[in-house]
Amino acid sequence: MIRPRAAREPGLWLAMTLASVSAFAADTPESWLDRMNTALATRNYEGVYSHWQSGRVETLRIVHRVIDGVVTERLESLDGSGRQFVRAGGELTCYLPDQRTVLVEQAPPGLMPAGMPKFDSSVADYYRLSSVGTFRQMGEQAQVITVTPRDAYRYGYRLWIERSTGMPLKTELLDNDDKVIEEVVFSSLSMRHHIGDDEFKPQLSTTGYRWLREDGAPAVSADAPGAWANIPVPPGFHLTAQTAQMMPGTPDPVTHLVFSDGVATVSVFIQTEIIRSSPGQVRAGLAQVGSSSAYTSVQSGHKFVALGEVPPATVRFIIDGLMHPSAAQAPH
Amino acid sequence: MSNEELDSQLSAMFDDELPATECELLARRLARDEQLRARWGRYAAIGACIRGEQGLRLGTPLAGKVSAAIRREAQATGTPASARGRHGFLNPWVTAFGGLASAAAVAAVAILWMRSETPAMVAQAPPVRHAPVPAATDVMAPAAPRPVAAQAANPRRPSREPDSYVVPAGVTQSPMLVQPTELANYIVAHSAYSAPLMRRNALSALVAADSAVPPATAQPIAATVVTGK
Repeated sequence: MIRPRAAREPGLWLAMTLASVSAFAADTPESWLDRMNTALATRNYEGVYSHWQSGRVETLRIVHRVIDGVVTERLESLDGSGRQFVRAGGELTCYLPDQRTVLVEQAPPGLMPAGMPKFDSSVADYYRLSSVGTFRQMGEQAQVITVTPRDAYRYGYRLWIERSTGMPLKTELLDNDDKVIEEVVFSSLSMRHHIGDDEFKPQLSTTGYRWLREDGAPAVSADAPGAWANIPVPPGFHLTAQTAQMMPGTPDPVTHLVFSDGVATVSVFIQTEIIRSSPGQVRAGLAQVGSSSAYTSVQSGHKFVALGEVPPATVRFIIDGLMHPSAAQAPH
Repeated sequence: MSNEELDSQLSAMFDDELPATECELLARRLARDEQLRARWGRYAAIGACIRGEQGLRLGTPLAGKVSAAIRREAQATGTPASARGRHGFLNPWVTAFGGLASAAAVAAVAILWMRSETPAMVAQAPPVRHAPVPAATDVMAPAAPRPVAAQAANPRRPSREPDSYVVPAGVTQSPMLVQPTELANYIVAHSAYSAPLMRRNALSALVAADSAVPPATAQPIAATVVTGK
């Protein structure tokens, strides 16, 4: 059950009620999605949810806090591997008891946190947004919103958004046949006013663990703007970020391009001078983790990886365009 | 009930030889018994290996050992492993390869999480505008782009889109070019730019992933290794 802070604080209850009335005045699918993203990015909460994908179910606990725009978050597997990820600002620490290893990743210098998608008219060109109605979920009133792609380059979503908080209580990721390929369902969710630092400490002893810590990524400048800006991408995607960063196991900076259609995001990583391959030889392959698809191609000493929460065909489209720029014209 | 009895029941369930009433009881137990679920998933993956299902890859050294063991057992009995089908694969496994249980667990995890492109995926691939010319490569099938009239049957296709769609060239089974650890690192880097909901789901998938997909490299470059912090 959700235990909102407002239930304990009458003054806040009044403020939230007024805010809710204002929000309901614009009771459109777009407004619900904006509210959901705002809640996810700005509210403090902790909850337990199940993550289902490819027939596997894992129970996870999340604690999420935002102070002055800085997100601190702990994600913990309650069964299975017992892994825990703790994100504090630009630092992500992965506790891997199954590996007896702790990995500390630093965000590259100058990285701007992901902006919240705005569901404007450009998104409507590629997704159809619908409000299905109000249903009970986890004992609360939830607005069910569907995000249906208009082509097969993106996944669809069905979202149960809690009406008073804007939090997604249940989300389904849908393939092009409307088949559910990933599901996240909260079994408990608590909106918190204050979450102490102690709740972000890993609940395990790391004695004897191996720590892998980036030595502070050197200041790396991305390639000149525009160097990769003309990569052919599926309709609706556009370049939103470009950087270069050190990654574990790579001796040289990796160019990182980010493309978005307003909902889905695809990263393209370009790594040079590491691959043994004959001139003109091309190798390619697809891999998937969860709902993320990755398509890799190696050509003439370069490795290209496109990765995102999109169907396999989308990442393949981008890599094929990189391999054959003269043949693949940008479709937008 | 002992583990052996449970193994026997699982085996019978896979072989469609378990009475319906026992099936129901076992299903209930599966729902509440985490270890049994893990065992079920392991057996299902092993069965898929033996059946040689497309789209499953053995990507770890341990998985290679499992495959080799399966082949040896098949040679000993004179039956091709792939010809065993789904019937009777569990008992030979339990009896002959029980010692490899931990290896099987790793293998099962690896093949469940790391999948190469399957024919089904190719079939579902959407049309590509101005499709790239397939290159003469060592793994990509250089199929000529072909127009697809049937695209109009897709109700999601916006009517304003042009008719000049082509189907992407098919991709055959290919070697894994990105190691699981490397892929996990890319996912972590990508997640920093994803929308909040997608970022949470992507990291959830990584947290939920088992040992085959650790987001770390065994011998990282430009990293400090400190033991026993």
